[in-house]
Amino acid sequence: MSSFLDDIETLVPALRRYARALTRNADQADDLVQDCLERAIAKQSLWRPIGPVRPWLFKIMINLHRNDRRRRRSAPEYEALDVLPFEPASPATQGARLALAETAAALDRLPAEQREALLLVALEGMSYAEAAGVLDIPTGTLMSRIGRAREALRTMVDGTGPRLRSVK
Amino acid sequence: MNDKTIITEADLNAYVDGELPPAEQAEIEAYLADHPADRERVAAWRDQEATLRALYGHVAEETAPARLSPHRIAMERRRNFSRAAMAIAASLVLVLLGGTGGWIGRGLVTPDASQMTLVSEAEAAHALYTPEVLHPVEVNGEDGAHLTKWLSKRLDRSLSIPDLSSEGFSLVGGRLLPAAGSAAALLMYENRDGARVTLYVVPKSGQETAMHFSTGDGLTAVSWQAETLGCVLVGNLPRETLLKLAKTSYGSLDSGSNA
Repeated sequence: MSSFLDDIETLVPALRRYARALTRNADQADDLVQDCLERAIAKQSLWRPIGPVRPWLFKIMINLHRNDRRRRRSAPEYEALDVLPFEPASPATQGARLALAETAAALDRLPAEQREALLLVALEGMSYAEAAGVLDIPTGTLMSRIGRAREALRTMVDGTGPRLRSVK
Repeated sequence: MNDKTIITEADLNAYVDGELPPAEQAEIEAYLADHPADRERVAAWRDQEATLRALYGHVAEETAPARLSPHRIAMERRRNFSRAAMAIAASLVLVLLGGTGGWIGRGLVTPDASQMTLVSEAEAAHALYTPEVLHPVEVNGEDGAHLTKWLSKRLDRSLSIPDLSSEGFSLVGGRLLPAAGSAAALLMYENRDGARVTLYVVPKSGQETAMHFSTGDGLTAVSWQAETLGCVLVGNLPRETLLKLAKTSYGSLDSGSNA
């Protein structure tokens, strides 16, 4: 029991990161993580996960977020999106700040299924197999969502303004 | 990949994500050396990833608020459990009292519910109740016998509540809803990942029909007419899964009319 709680505790930082990127709103993100944890803890006696806990928790959270989005669509309300989710710690140039804000906004315009997929792989560093498991889709479908997401982001961000890439 | 000239976009994505074995990884690198446009593209994708990490990576470094501590959530859950049990008992009494009083609006004349009305009612009920964390149902699935008896009485049909556990779905519970011209039962099921499906059932006689699919707003509905019941299964799941669930439901739901 407590080892289960310890296990999920180690995943809270990643869940918060993913939730923040999905919702772009700090309060809404933490509410989502809290719902997810409550759901997981309530379920553990009934559905103690057989495999690893991480994909299971992400799956629960994504399902909750989809339900939540559907509810918000039927009852629209104002919500404040964080334009920039933080004050950059290092003094960033105007251009770099713009690049971040632009990417954040572009991410928001992606279809939800592409955003979910891209963030699992690019932000959370999941393998294709794990991410496909989380989303309950074949690996091929996952790959095509990621590919489309990347190209859409590139068009949105590159299409306006100067090249944002710093040379490595 | 053996044919050097065919490098697909999927290959490039897999390369960026480190999903290729070393040999193929090297092959892509060789390819990129001669193809500046794709090289540019790959670099842009990598920049996107760096930007995403710059935007959101810091969240994982922050100290999480206390309300997100799993130990604390588990403790509060135990503390609230007895209180919740009492609240559920109290609400059951209310439901039972309400049951004898009849429901408001019964006298209203409503047009015959077409299949599409049925489906949109079912979708609305699904959208309204599945996001509920605290009160998704009126009667808990654990109280199956009571639920069966209550809904059968209100729908004037002898219902048997489908067991979908073979497909990994357990019964959350049910509630009674007003529907065009009658009452409707909404049964909610959930799998271990928290995905919920609802089965919307109204007393409705007519010719048995095949199963119909309709999709909209991220939801898929499978509807059919059984001998004495109109049924709609709604969920945000692949069609095959829903169809399997619908078939299982069809097999067990309508165990005959009371009439």
